[in-house]
Amino acid sequence: MSHVIETKKLCRSFGKEETLVKALSDVNLIIEEGEFTAIIGPSGSGKSTLLQLVGGLDEPTSGDIFLDSKKISQMSGTELSDFRRDHIGFIFQAYNLIPVLSAEENIEYIMLLQNVPAQERSKRVKEILQAVGLQGKENRRPAQLSGGQQQRVAVARAMVSQPRLILADEPTANLDSHTGAALLDMMKQLNEKENMTFVFSTHDPMVMERANRIIKLHDGCIVGDERRSA
Amino acid sequence: MIHLNYRLALRNIFRNTRRTGLTVFLIASGLAALLFTDAFIRGMSVSMIKTSTETFLGDAQIHKQGFREANDIDIYLKDNAHLYQTLENIKQIKNYAPRVITGAMLSSSENVTSVIVYGVEAKREMQVSKLKQAMLKGVFLSDKKGEIIIGDDLADLLEVDLGDRLVITLSQAHGGDLSQALFRVSGIYHFDDRFMNKGIAVINLQQGKEIINIQGVHEIVLRLDSVDQASDKSIKLWDELNNNELETLSWRQLIPQLSNILDMSQYSTLIVSIIMSLLVALGLINSMFMSIYERHHEFGILLAIGTRPHQLFWLILLEGLYIALLSVMAGLLLGGLLSYWKSIAGIDYSGAEFSGVSMSEPVYLVIDILAFIKISGFILMITVLSCVYPALHAARLQPSLAMKKVL
Repeated sequence: MSHVIETKKLCRSFGKEETLVKALSDVNLIIEEGEFTAIIGPSGSGKSTLLQLVGGLDEPTSGDIFLDSKKISQMSGTELSDFRRDHIGFIFQAYNLIPVLSAEENIEYIMLLQNVPAQERSKRVKEILQAVGLQGKENRRPAQLSGGQQQRVAVARAMVSQPRLILADEPTANLDSHTGAALLDMMKQLNEKENMTFVFSTHDPMVMERANRIIKLHDGCIVGDERRSA
Repeated sequence: MIHLNYRLALRNIFRNTRRTGLTVFLIASGLAALLFTDAFIRGMSVSMIKTSTETFLGDAQIHKQGFREANDIDIYLKDNAHLYQTLENIKQIKNYAPRVITGAMLSSSENVTSVIVYGVEAKREMQVSKLKQAMLKGVFLSDKKGEIIIGDDLADLLEVDLGDRLVITLSQAHGGDLSQALFRVSGIYHFDDRFMNKGIAVINLQQGKEIINIQGVHEIVLRLDSVDQASDKSIKLWDELNNNELETLSWRQLIPQLSNILDMSQYSTLIVSIIMSLLVALGLINSMFMSIYERHHEFGILLAIGTRPHQLFWLILLEGLYIALLSVMAGLLLGGLLSYWKSIAGIDYSGAEFSGVSMSEPVYLVIDILAFIKISGFILMITVLSCVYPALHAARLQPSLAMKKVL
């Protein structure tokens, strides 16, 4: 298996002098292709910071991050944008859809950024909407969808461009248990079927149940790394 | 991508219709005010030129070289059929009228005052000035001996009315002998100009020549096809009628103070435009920043999912362009309608005096389509440029900070 993510002595601090907070300290981590990984830990343990750094949304104070063996700190702003666009899918806790675009347009947006031809875009949007069970709701705007439906659109948006890595920040936190479980099952299915790599930051036992690797963070340090068959 | 950006930008500007509406209203009002000001200043200029040239001055005047500097009645254009034939042959000259001019004492049985006496040829004078239209009482000159017309203020000063006797006493040309002549008031006129009403008396040309003792005229007033020709030095009349003998000057040279005021009014429009544009730009920058701060989170998402910073920059600029287009259309409509209305109805300034020029008629706004296009284009450009800074700010956002711990 190839390394999708590799971090070396990754550190991230916020503030200066007396107000200095070390969010991550010397984190060395390797995520292999096809893993369904849950990063767990109490609030403030550095889960979200780690995902932000791995996703190229933030810059480390020190240390290196390699995505598909490419060092992201050496990438320019545009290169990083293109890298995120082509290789990483994001699922956010608060869904984070573009409010003025319909479900279909939200999913299509990333493919437009990738210059996917119109016919191909239309086909893939239809397929993914069917996969997440949102047929017939393609023209609804986010405000016209329930929380679960919005998160399904977010999942569809993250996966439609078939990235190698999906980073999900507490994707079930705002969903009821039934909807959350259904969504996780869908993601697990895609992970097994498409060999997509999923990394979750979560408190949710349902995620942990399905994960084949659990990384425990505490005060910015990895304090546990358990691999298991899900 | 381009099509979705168009849609996204269009939908974004209507997300907060009240803010977009207020922004559009601000820019459109600024533009409408600018257009109206431009049309008003043009109308005012036309009105001032018209008042100045049509009342008595003419579009241009011919004198003998040296007359204007010395103001000497001995310097006159001798009667010359060739000169009049030349004037007839120049196509830009619509009409012309010869005059004699001299300073004189004008006395009635009750009072005496100094005046400028003009001798005019009645039929020709009617074609170049508004003397006849200004008559309050009596009749205009009819080339009969002994006729004199004066302004109402002068009539009050001399305590005379129609038919009353007036005596002109003046110093003749060629030696300065005193000459006196008796006239009867045949008409009283009124202009919105104190000097014209109090300082001038008008008699027939032939009698003027006789009492001044000259065989010629001091001045030939020209009425041109268009007042603009007075500023057009490319037309041949200026070359033909300016030589060692003749000095021909346009109204711009005859009343340079008015010409300067008109030039200054163009700078006034420019200054008003700059101030207005600054207000529009600051208002828009504020509005765009409010809109961008509200959407920091969303921009963070767009950047996170792979939108390039420059794509975000163009998206915001596109929103600015839409706002600019909406505002310019609204401003053009508002400013155009207001200006059009006042170009027909006019703004009543009659009786008011600007820089020594009395406005005898309402000011009718003059719409210059090219100027309207230029001003609108300028506002469009300023509006879009005002969005550059907010757009740069958005494009430089760090996704994680913009989303603030969402991920």
